[in-house]
Amino acid sequence: MRGFAALGLALVWASSALAQKPPESVGEAIYRHGVLPTGAPLEADRDPGVRIRGAAAACVTCHRRSGLGMMEGRQTIPPIAGSYLFHPRAGTVDDLDLPFVEGMRPDRDPYTEATLARAIREGVRADGNKLSYLMPHYRLDDAAMTELISYLKKLSPGAVPGVTDLVLHFATIVTPDADPVKRKAVLEVLTKFFEDKNHYVRAQSPRLRSSRRMMFKVNRHWELHVWELTGAPETWEKQLHAKLVAEPVYAVISGIGGKTWAPVHRFCEEAALPCLFPNVELPVVAENDFDNLYFSKGVLLETELIAHELKGRRATAGVHRVVQVYRATDVGKDPAAPLAAEFAGEGLTFINRSIPARAHARELSAAVRKIEPGDALVLWLRAEDIAALGSPPPELSTVFMSGRMGGLDRAPLPAAWRDLTRLAYPFDLPERSRVRLDYPLGWFRIRQIPVVALEEQTDTYLACGIVSDTINHMVDTFVRDYLVERVETMLEHRIITGHYPRLALAPGQRFASKGGYLVRFADPTGNRVVADSAWIAP
Amino acid sequence: MSRANMFNVAIAALALAAGSAAASDAELMAQNPPVRSQLLISTVQYTVPDIKLVRDDSKAVSLPDEINDGRPVLLNFIFTSCGSVCPLMSAIFAQFQQRLGDDSGKVHLMSISIDPEQDTPERLRAYAAQFEAGPGWQHYTGTLATSLAAQRAFDVYRGDKMSHAPVTLLRVAPGQPWRRIDGLVTPDQLMREYRTLLAAR
Repeated sequence: MRGFAALGLALVWASSALAQKPPESVGEAIYRHGVLPTGAPLEADRDPGVRIRGAAAACVTCHRRSGLGMMEGRQTIPPIAGSYLFHPRAGTVDDLDLPFVEGMRPDRDPYTEATLARAIREGVRADGNKLSYLMPHYRLDDAAMTELISYLKKLSPGAVPGVTDLVLHFATIVTPDADPVKRKAVLEVLTKFFEDKNHYVRAQSPRLRSSRRMMFKVNRHWELHVWELTGAPETWEKQLHAKLVAEPVYAVISGIGGKTWAPVHRFCEEAALPCLFPNVELPVVAENDFDNLYFSKGVLLETELIAHELKGRRATAGVHRVVQVYRATDVGKDPAAPLAAEFAGEGLTFINRSIPARAHARELSAAVRKIEPGDALVLWLRAEDIAALGSPPPELSTVFMSGRMGGLDRAPLPAAWRDLTRLAYPFDLPERSRVRLDYPLGWFRIRQIPVVALEEQTDTYLACGIVSDTINHMVDTFVRDYLVERVETMLEHRIITGHYPRLALAPGQRFASKGGYLVRFADPTGNRVVADSAWIAP
Repeated sequence: MSRANMFNVAIAALALAAGSAAASDAELMAQNPPVRSQLLISTVQYTVPDIKLVRDDSKAVSLPDEINDGRPVLLNFIFTSCGSVCPLMSAIFAQFQQRLGDDSGKVHLMSISIDPEQDTPERLRAYAAQFEAGPGWQHYTGTLATSLAAQRAFDVYRGDKMSHAPVTLLRVAPGQPWRRIDGLVTPDQLMREYRTLLAAR
């Protein structure tokens, strides 16, 4: 009995260890970061006598993290994951038992370790011809070369968890502090999208083949696993690793968070699991992370918009002090801190007023009313608090509020506040996004999905569309890193972008929409807002 | 029709049958890997649009003023998240500037971002530092609209940033036509073009 328990524990330990990223190898450090085993930067010469070093010389900059290469302009960067280099010569792509990627070469003699080392050092192909002028000539000693080649071999695409011959498994993550109405609305869109997607898959559809027999694609059934987290955020990562072991998935699609998303973000990075476009107000800003893609920086983008505007107006409005008001238990504290940091050393005083979670409108009103001439007020408050603001103190002339938290153009801002207040608006203006929203709104209408959380529902629909379109272009190459890389390069082509004027990413970019407006209400009542700034991309 | 041409047409027809432009590129690459950049050099008159850009020192500047500051000017279009081609183009500018030696301040090198919402002046400064850009080399950003206007004016806009092509533009004095180099020029070739144009001025 004791033996069984021990075995069980060992299994749990082994499987959770499997789900986590192994520590970086020497080969990986060369490939991804351009760092040699000695810690010195990797160096290379490019054909026209141009020396490159360090991260700029790292293989990953062109061949990408997946090792599957890319298309950039007219350049095709070929795949260099091991199996693409060492496969025996084949007549056509069809004769290769390798996932299709652009730039793969069937009709070539395989590299050996010696000819590959020569290619990397001297830019000479297996057949003795020169490689493209884009390929640098690397300075690597034998030991480092061996490490790099063994890393390239490890990059060879193999079986991907969550992908079977007939089914693609996805997860969506819901944190316990997510707004219950929005949670339900998001899950409804996801469920309907998956139903729709599977509607077209009847039994086992045959492999699609083109006239050249290049495309070998199977219609797979899409299966959604809803990962509902419970308890304290400190326990979420462990829960998620366990869920991934129990229900292996290819990627995480959409999802919804509340006050914090950081544990989910960390889990996705650790498990090297693409986590695509969740509904979160407070994403994690980490430039060097890879697996987490977001629509925007959310309330942190609002901080940048307000900072931009405050810099411009500070002198004319005579602002000496900034008073920020937020609920202690809500996300408001997080965007408030960087706003103060933005003005550090610029002679502007910041006062942060945190209101207890259960405090009544009277306490809120007191926090908002303690105002002196020359104060600017920044409100990181929800609609209920905005509605209860009462009348503004007479000294007050400059007010900013979080549009996202306050309800955007639906914010119940009292009439007396409307002339004073500028809303940070990290979306396109309503009159401009209306046309782009027709498509998702029509889709909801036909499927009888009530619109109760417009932004979250359209973003969820967008996330599904982006993943679906990207996977359609990947043929059968279900490499997780490759999914993220294809989203990065393809996103800019999208026409249906919902509330965002444009969505675009690139290697290293993690936030698809990069700007917003400051707006104000046009009328004492109603929802009409007008731009009070140009589009700002801070 | 030469044999090579017939061969290419046959390949193109095959690619069309597959209905995939990407496949056709891959196929052509496979048959004819571009061992060296193929350069197309032309002389063109461009009208510089009257737009404002933001220089890497965060100052708003007029594009015509920056271009027509009296010095010979070299112009390219880059973005800082770009993997393969832009770092090479920037490295070529860096080498060109180094070769100018003491004269490096007498030639104005200009790099305009085609990803302006990402490429803040701060990012551009970091990027310039990576290439050890000297004082004669400035990077510019702006809004999507102004960056686009600049790209269109010099006929380098290719639909999106990932489709960009390497183009170097060179003009020795205001009023002169531009020398346009399509493809990846070497620092030596660029220096020869520059010296030739300068001598003919």
